[in-house]
Amino acid sequence: MTQVNEQLIADVVRQVLNSVNGNGGSSPASFGSSSGISAADYPLGVKRKDLLKSPRGIPFDELSLENVESGKVGFEDFRISPEVLKLQGEIASSAGRSQIALNLGRAGELTKVPDVRILEIYNSLRPHRSTKEELLSIADELQSKFGAKVTADFVREAADVYQRRKLLKGDLVSTD
Amino acid sequence: MATGKRSKRFEVLENRPVHKDGFIGEWIDVGLYAMGSPKDPKPSVRIEGDKIVEMDGKRREDFSMIEQFVADYAINVKNAPEAMAKGDLEIARMLVDVNVGRPECIRVMTALTPAKVSRVMENLNIVEIMMAMQKMRARQMPGNQCHVTNVKDHPVLLAADGAEAALRGFIEMETTVAVARYGPFNALALLVGGQTGRRGTLSQDALEEAFELEVGMRGLTSYAETVSVYGTESVFIDGDDTPWSKSFLASAYASRGLKMRFTSGTGSEVQMGAAEGKSMLYLEILCIMITKGAGVQGLQNGSISCIGVPGAVPSGLRAVAAENLVTMCLDLEVASGNDQTFSHSDQRRTARTIPQLFPGTDLIFSGYAAEPNYDNMFAGSNWDIDDMDDFLSIQRDFKVDGGLRPVSEENVIAIRNKAARALQAVFDELGFPPITDEEVDLATYAHGTKDIGDRNIPEDLKAAERLMKEGVTGVDVAKALAKRGFRDVAESIILMMRQRVAGDYLQTSAWIDTDGTVYSAVNDPNTYSGPGTGYKMSDARWEEVKAIPWAVRAEDV
Repeated sequence: MTQVNEQLIADVVRQVLNSVNGNGGSSPASFGSSSGISAADYPLGVKRKDLLKSPRGIPFDELSLENVESGKVGFEDFRISPEVLKLQGEIASSAGRSQIALNLGRAGELTKVPDVRILEIYNSLRPHRSTKEELLSIADELQSKFGAKVTADFVREAADVYQRRKLLKGDLVSTD
Repeated sequence: MATGKRSKRFEVLENRPVHKDGFIGEWIDVGLYAMGSPKDPKPSVRIEGDKIVEMDGKRREDFSMIEQFVADYAINVKNAPEAMAKGDLEIARMLVDVNVGRPECIRVMTALTPAKVSRVMENLNIVEIMMAMQKMRARQMPGNQCHVTNVKDHPVLLAADGAEAALRGFIEMETTVAVARYGPFNALALLVGGQTGRRGTLSQDALEEAFELEVGMRGLTSYAETVSVYGTESVFIDGDDTPWSKSFLASAYASRGLKMRFTSGTGSEVQMGAAEGKSMLYLEILCIMITKGAGVQGLQNGSISCIGVPGAVPSGLRAVAAENLVTMCLDLEVASGNDQTFSHSDQRRTARTIPQLFPGTDLIFSGYAAEPNYDNMFAGSNWDIDDMDDFLSIQRDFKVDGGLRPVSEENVIAIRNKAARALQAVFDELGFPPITDEEVDLATYAHGTKDIGDRNIPEDLKAAERLMKEGVTGVDVAKALAKRGFRDVAESIILMMRQRVAGDYLQTSAWIDTDGTVYSAVNDPNTYSGPGTGYKMSDARWEEVKAIPWAVRAEDV
């Protein structure tokens, strides 16, 4: 198993470097709102395989058992990219489901946040866990460190609601 | 009551199973009221700019966190003035009118306040609710989900039961544990069993939320469902969450390419003693709207683990069907309950399932027990494996598609054996406590844990912990299977891993066919608009449903 973990770490590092250098597969900019994707292109796994690749750019059809066995493809390749989440969001929008598109938009931003940090932020958003300042600093971290603007605003909104409804750390738990 | 001479008929009736069930009269103040409580809010909406500033008689500054979330995220503000101006009865009639299409119904229903949605439901009787379900469910083809559990968390039995259930037609399966530390093994056993039984089976492991997310990220499960939401602020906080924390969790799942739905149900707020005097349906409508607002594709509802509460009050099971219908009317996938024991009466058990089975839902059961009742770790389902031939007969009697198929004994034995051997190979490759040939044989032919021996539990638990610590993934499982000659099962697991790259199953009401094609409300939308339209069994499917092996064949007579 240690071998698998090394492979995994190597892949993650490569992925991070790629995104820092701006050459990690297709850049988000190439999937602007004008991508023209709609429900007619769905399912992407059948109709638009050309748009699908692993985060480090391996084409969808190469994500096969043979390539797993040869070591060409690893666990980290079976991960959704922000670009594909954006496409799925556009498909949901074109089918009249704007809230799903919003959720997938936040999800696209969260692809960059490590597993452990995601779970920590989730716990911080539970009632009576965080002060307003702590929530606002999480929002700033999401925005500046991960470019997660939409999610950051969502956390800021939660901070306001928690303040109004007395759900911040230290607020008395309502007994009525 | 009868102090004098007893009627023998009454004595007989009192000893019928139905008299063991709990029944209670309506009690408005504690919320023991199915739908349309006199204390439910009156519908109203006031909009300033693009914000709702008053909803159902409450001003924005007084909104609970739930009301604010619903007002800001779940209601289509643009369409609200027009939709809210329509009469309750007028909208109720739209839902059953075959001449009004589903898209138009969705346009109106997604622009109503919670109290207004409740009023619309109050105007529908149970047959009208079923008629509306037939038109309003998101996906055209109905489906079914099962529970795969056992009291010993016996991994070999779980794999065999998972394979049999997949062969019988369940497109999704859910496990949970007797002992929490068995969680990782249960996920692994169900992955191997489910993919052995039918390529494309979606599986989940219902446990603590952080654990569920982690096994999902590893590719040992492919979806999650037990992410609960509630209809009052105090109960939501008791559940240690808010609509914002749950929405964040939903986005976290999607960010890892995992399908998920929320869970809620009538009666949960009453059971937790904080219904604020509102009817069960009104509070459940808030839960459905939270789900909508979070951008989650679907919801498991239909009272779920609280079914005893609506099951005890007048019109309670009608309210349970109505909550499923509201979910459909907000354009969400519904996994429609029928997953917990609530009655000793076989008649009531069957009647409770008809409103979902006859019109069809995305997942008629959100947990048909694929094992005997004593092995169901979700506290028993409304139907279990011993009822299977009754279920198959009912599909055939009414020509209704409940998602299941008759199977032959030899095919079931063969698939159970293959799944048990596949898991044996995986355990061996990964260095887990050995699975003996005898265990494989016992699991192949077992009815439940009564027919199977005991595992070395401390050793299993140590290994399950190691599975988590070492970061075993779906890819490792596929490699182990391929190495040991279970190439087709390994291919199936890779196919499931590929789904998280494509993300197609993140869309509403998605299931995965054996060739990996995803079908959902996007490419298989419900088009029902009266007789001769909508879902119809194919000829091949009808032949399959008809062919119960125990029917006498005319040519043999």
